[in-house]
Amino acid sequence: MIRAIRENSLILTIFALITAGLLAGTYLGTRDKIAAAEREVAQRALREVVPDELHDNDMLNDVLPIPGNFLETLGLNQPTELNVARRNGRPIAFIIPATAPDGYSGDIQMIIGINTDETIAGVRIVAHSETPGLGDKVDTNKSDWVFGFNGKSLNNPNVDNWKVKKDQGTFDQFTGATITPRAVVNQVKKVLLYYAEDSERLLKAAEQSWNNKLENETGDG
Amino acid sequence: MLNVTSPHAHDGLSTADVMKLVLVATVPGFVALTWNFGWGTAINIVLAVATALACESAAVALRKRPVMFYLKDYSAAVTAVLLGLALPPLAPWWITVVGTAFGIIVAKHLYGGLGFNPFNPAMVGYVVLLISFPVQMTAWPAPYLIMPEGITPPGLWESLQIVFPLLAGGDAIDAYTAATPLDVFKHNTGLLAEQLYGAEPVFAAGELAGVSWEWVNLGFLAGGCFLLYRGVFTWHAPVSMLVALALMAAIFYDGGSSTSKGSPLLHLLSGATMLGAFFIVTDPVTSASSNRGRVIYGALIGVLTFIIRSWGSYPDAVAFAVLLMNFAAPLIDNYTLPRTYGREKSRRATEKQE
Amino acid sequence: MSTYREITHNGLWKNNAALVQLLGLCPLLAVTGSVVNAMGLGLATLLVLTASNIVVSLVRNQVSEAIKIPAFVMVIATFTTTTELLMKAYTYELYLILGIFIPLIVTNCAILGRAEAFASKNSLVLSAWDGFTHGLGFGVVLVLVGAIREILGSGTLFANMHLLFGPAAETWTIDIFGEGYSFLIAILPPGAFLVCGLLIAIKNMIDGEIEKRQSARKVIIKGAKRVRTTGKIS
Repeated sequence: MIRAIRENSLILTIFALITAGLLAGTYLGTRDKIAAAEREVAQRALREVVPDELHDNDMLNDVLPIPGNFLETLGLNQPTELNVARRNGRPIAFIIPATAPDGYSGDIQMIIGINTDETIAGVRIVAHSETPGLGDKVDTNKSDWVFGFNGKSLNNPNVDNWKVKKDQGTFDQFTGATITPRAVVNQVKKVLLYYAEDSERLLKAAEQSWNNKLENETGDG
Repeated sequence: MLNVTSPHAHDGLSTADVMKLVLVATVPGFVALTWNFGWGTAINIVLAVATALACESAAVALRKRPVMFYLKDYSAAVTAVLLGLALPPLAPWWITVVGTAFGIIVAKHLYGGLGFNPFNPAMVGYVVLLISFPVQMTAWPAPYLIMPEGITPPGLWESLQIVFPLLAGGDAIDAYTAATPLDVFKHNTGLLAEQLYGAEPVFAAGELAGVSWEWVNLGFLAGGCFLLYRGVFTWHAPVSMLVALALMAAIFYDGGSSTSKGSPLLHLLSGATMLGAFFIVTDPVTSASSNRGRVIYGALIGVLTFIIRSWGSYPDAVAFAVLLMNFAAPLIDNYTLPRTYGREKSRRATEKQE
Repeated sequence: MSTYREITHNGLWKNNAALVQLLGLCPLLAVTGSVVNAMGLGLATLLVLTASNIVVSLVRNQVSEAIKIPAFVMVIATFTTTTELLMKAYTYELYLILGIFIPLIVTNCAILGRAEAFASKNSLVLSAWDGFTHGLGFGVVLVLVGAIREILGSGTLFANMHLLFGPAAETWTIDIFGEGYSFLIAILPPGAFLVCGLLIAIKNMIDGEIEKRQSARKVIIKGAKRVRTTGKIS
């Protein structure tokens, strides 16, 4: 009896050791590749908003915190960072995350790229649960609707016209759905308003962080 | 001569008689629809009936059963007419064809034909269409009464061109659509119910609960009362559904605030409420079978309809509620089967046979 | 030779994990919205099933009855996690789409079932072949359901295959019904049930047909009859 137990536990231990070893091996072998793939996907959305030809920095790691008093405007419920796109060290655009809370079926998460001249570089919907076939046309996989924001700003169209056509604004809603585009347009407008208010500080902070980075690099060297 | 009859055996209506009565009873609702929305519903019904008869014959023939015998019970025609009444008028022809074919072939014959289908075929067809083609299924033409000036409602030939774009020879005509009362209420952002009633023509031009839709629903209510009077079904399921829906609406009406879910009258007289209550919920095959069961079955449909209308993704919800409860009907039967004469307790379907 | 044929017939048809045993229904219904998703999960399952059958067969004489199940589960879990890591490394986007269903392969009863019912009693090569054919049988059904749902639902075939086969496959998409076609119910969960049920019905129909032909050919001998008992198949 005791012998059987001893033998069995020994075999199971050996099993556990071998399988753990195998897993550790696979993990070590794939670790770098997985990290690269994860970065690649995380960067993709950023790159769609500000393509590689326009910037030359690592946008994923070039971040600035969003001030706490603006989080609510952006629809974010926890401290979040925005990404900076630079060329030759000078910021050319900020990519700001935001959430529209009033979609047809809950939150619509998006990122909005704003050029330093206050025009929109691009809008992408990152996550949503809108009705298939109706509200999901905000997704670039389904329709080109979000590209309509490119180049727009608070002067083009006028602030008061940042609405869907149904509400006497400028932006198209899509057939059969008004709530989803209304929520997205509204949130993009809020982000533009936020940027107009905070841009001076953001530009300074971006410069500061670049200088800090340069100092660190020369310091290390 | 002594005439001996068995006291409990009535010379009941045959399936075909019942179905014919149901068809007659849809007339007031159909007239109201056509009066307010034009030729669309009539085209829907013709298309649906043609598709249904074709599918029914094909399915029955494939199942190696006598075709005429099954066509003569009118059940396929009733399914088609009910679906045709529920679909938005002027929907593209393939909407009607796909929905009817799905209802007859998949929801009815794959389950074994009339009497064996757990789900109401018309509602299955409707829901399949609603989740597959939400754009077409939520585009209701504007009622004649609130057509903006300068827009003439389409006549028969134009309606046909809208339904069959090929007839228009390339330049497709678009129907002039408007949001339904339930749509308007669902999309309300921050207006009090009273302001909404004043601002939206759909309500402003109506008497009770939204222009045109109130008449369509009253039409179906009249048809339902006729069927009730003729004893085609008992009052239990429809009345309990309407009462439950009205109760839920009364609870959440909220005095007409900006987050109000709509008044009981709005819920009773808009969307598919009356069509559902008297023509769908009363389907003898897919509903609960005892009177007590029907009360529960109907009430739960009313409650679910209100819940899905108010917090779900689609403006109307009768079809979803009916399908969900079709699913639950056998369970309700299980607990409400009447006591057999001579026994003390009612028998449950799960009990072992002695 | 006949054993191999028997195993193949069992895995692909007669005892098909998806259509006959109805094992692994959860992934079968959840990820078959398109061919690429179905193929991704099918290949992953095939890999885990074959590998675990091989290892289980190798150690079948060392493991006593008492610790059989924990040992097998450990083997299967290892291969599942390995597969998950590999998919993460090489097909990361597909991994994101398939999500929880990759680690859930470990709970697919077809795998423990084959380990216990076959690999723990048979030689290495036979077990490997058994795992491969059962995995293939499951995978083929997945891809079939995926293909039907993709065609009906989005009107395409082989869309997004680059997620699995790299950039070269980006042009593989076949657009059948043209731009703008969609029949959402086929892609949504109800479509999975409908298509799966349809496939089962077709399989049963073919089986019925085969049986009819065979019984028509056979001369029925009255009298003594051998009743097939469970377990032993040969």
